[in-house]
Amino acid sequence: MNKMRLISHSAGMMGRHKLRTGFMMIGSFIGVAALTLVVSVGLAAERELLKLAHQMFGESSLMIIDGGGHMMGGPRNPGTRLKIDDLEAIAKQVPEVESWDPQQGLTTSVRRGDLADTAQVLGESDRSEHVWGRSAVQGAYFDDAAVKSSERVALIGQTVVNQLFGNEEPMGAEIQIGSVPFRVVGILEPWGTDPHGMDRDNEIVVPISTLMRRLTNADTITGAKLLVAPSAQEDQMVKPIETILRERHGLAANQPNDFSILTASEVRKVMAAIKRILSLYLPMVAAISLLAGGIVSASLMVASVNERAGEIGLRRAVGARTGDIRLQFLIETAATTVAGGVAGILLGYVLARMGATKMHLGPVAPWSAALLGILASFVVGLAAGLLPARRAARMSPVDALR
Amino acid sequence: MIELNGIAKTYTQPDGKSVNALIDVSLQIDDGEFVAIVGTSGSGKSTLMNILGLLDVPSAGSYRLRGQDTAGLAAGAQAQWRNKQIGFVFQTFHLLPRTSALENVELPLLYSDRSSIRGLGRKALESVGLGDRISHRPSELSGGQQQRVAIARALVNEPDLLLADEPTGNLDRQSANEVMAIFQGLNRSGRTIVLVTHDAEIANHCQRIARMERGRIVADARVTEPKIALQEAQ
Repeated sequence: MNKMRLISHSAGMMGRHKLRTGFMMIGSFIGVAALTLVVSVGLAAERELLKLAHQMFGESSLMIIDGGGHMMGGPRNPGTRLKIDDLEAIAKQVPEVESWDPQQGLTTSVRRGDLADTAQVLGESDRSEHVWGRSAVQGAYFDDAAVKSSERVALIGQTVVNQLFGNEEPMGAEIQIGSVPFRVVGILEPWGTDPHGMDRDNEIVVPISTLMRRLTNADTITGAKLLVAPSAQEDQMVKPIETILRERHGLAANQPNDFSILTASEVRKVMAAIKRILSLYLPMVAAISLLAGGIVSASLMVASVNERAGEIGLRRAVGARTGDIRLQFLIETAATTVAGGVAGILLGYVLARMGATKMHLGPVAPWSAALLGILASFVVGLAAGLLPARRAARMSPVDALR
Repeated sequence: MIELNGIAKTYTQPDGKSVNALIDVSLQIDDGEFVAIVGTSGSGKSTLMNILGLLDVPSAGSYRLRGQDTAGLAAGAQAQWRNKQIGFVFQTFHLLPRTSALENVELPLLYSDRSSIRGLGRKALESVGLGDRISHRPSELSGGQQQRVAIARALVNEPDLLLADEPTGNLDRQSANEVMAIFQGLNRSGRTIVLVTHDAEIANHCQRIARMERGRIVADARVTEPKIALQEAQ
């Protein structure tokens, strides 16, 4: 009963010393702002990475990319050896491969009358929709016959629609890719921006045969995505595919691969490394800044205890027990750090939103970060209050009143 | 009320020397007395006051308060005694800054186990003539008014014993007179008051004067005709 009186009294006292309270709040304010920022950006980045991995691999698939070496880190050997024939051979010899789609692309100018855009043009097969999981929201993908006869048909992304058509109807219209006229047969499902900042809606999909013959004049492809049976172990398929490709490319035993095989598990490894940075090291840095804030609060509070010796002595004289004094100083430190923490959450959230918008990470969910921030500032506040509270409680009333 | 027997207090200074602040002090104060303890600074009167107020413990001797030996009291029990039985008034008022007169007066109630505290602070302020100043802050009050707030704070838990350490030391003549008038009024209504001062004029308002020198009580006599402090209109 009278503990509640003491608690509300202590809270009221802090409002009367705005400067002191303000300085004490700054430490946890900055610390929690940093913590909220990195945790919420980290979570958003992680979610975006998972989304990307899902877009790339779906449930069970692997990718073959022209050129050897590693995907992440280390130089890649240049290679222009991968051909559609290679993929056909793999599909024929490896029974687990259910479907596959070759890919070749270039970035070039696209025009319609006076309107122009620079877009990523991807050559793909009629199986593209199934393999990549990206459908057409209007019209439809070209069929096998269109690929065989190298038809000049194109599916365009929403950004391309906006750039070249505005409010006009794109379906059936003619556009020029490079100097080659194509007919628009479909609009691609919106795909958003990938973590590299690439606008995936600024893409055009055309039959790969048309692209190779008319636009790139090359017989090699940059890569292919293979869908495998859900029951198949992707990692165990790497070896046979490697053998087929090495044989077809005529590589001697001592020569390195001139292609790369990327499985979901390999991507998971990279993602785990990124996740470690996002969810461990960055919050650790933020936690250190929160710790520094706690030390600032503690030292300010110790100074405040010395300065308020008279007040402490008086409270003892009018009946405060050592426990009452300890409680008061604990409450003061904890309440200021939590208040600073709450303000820090708001700042951290605003910064996280700004950062996420700049990095195309989509919305940030502040709740888990906010909860962590409040919890952390409460713990830091209690810890920071322990020493000053002990010191205040141990002060002899006679000395304090002198 | 108060029974001191052979009280001694010895401090050890940081350089290792020990100082005898009180030497063999015996003193008996009955219920309803108004006693001044006088002496020069360093004579031990403040140390005696701290022991009387259970803020300090004697090195030797016994102190019985209301018949109870205080040596056996735990720290928590001592705090409860200070809260309920003893009211303190200090030379420098010790009011919390930026805090209203009423909240200052209510401070001892924070540490009391009373279930209802409503109206007690206001009543105490009215009893020292400050009923119209309850929301003023210390910085908005004169020295005399601040000391009266401090007296109201000492009274709020209705203790029987008031201990005042140089209560008029920081006040002008008129304010000092007002404060003494309040003390005399409180004494008339039955409270026991022990007041430390170095001012003979102030001491003459009390019924009895104990003089201290170098840690000992050297004189203890009744005042034949105590001065009456008149409560003047504000």
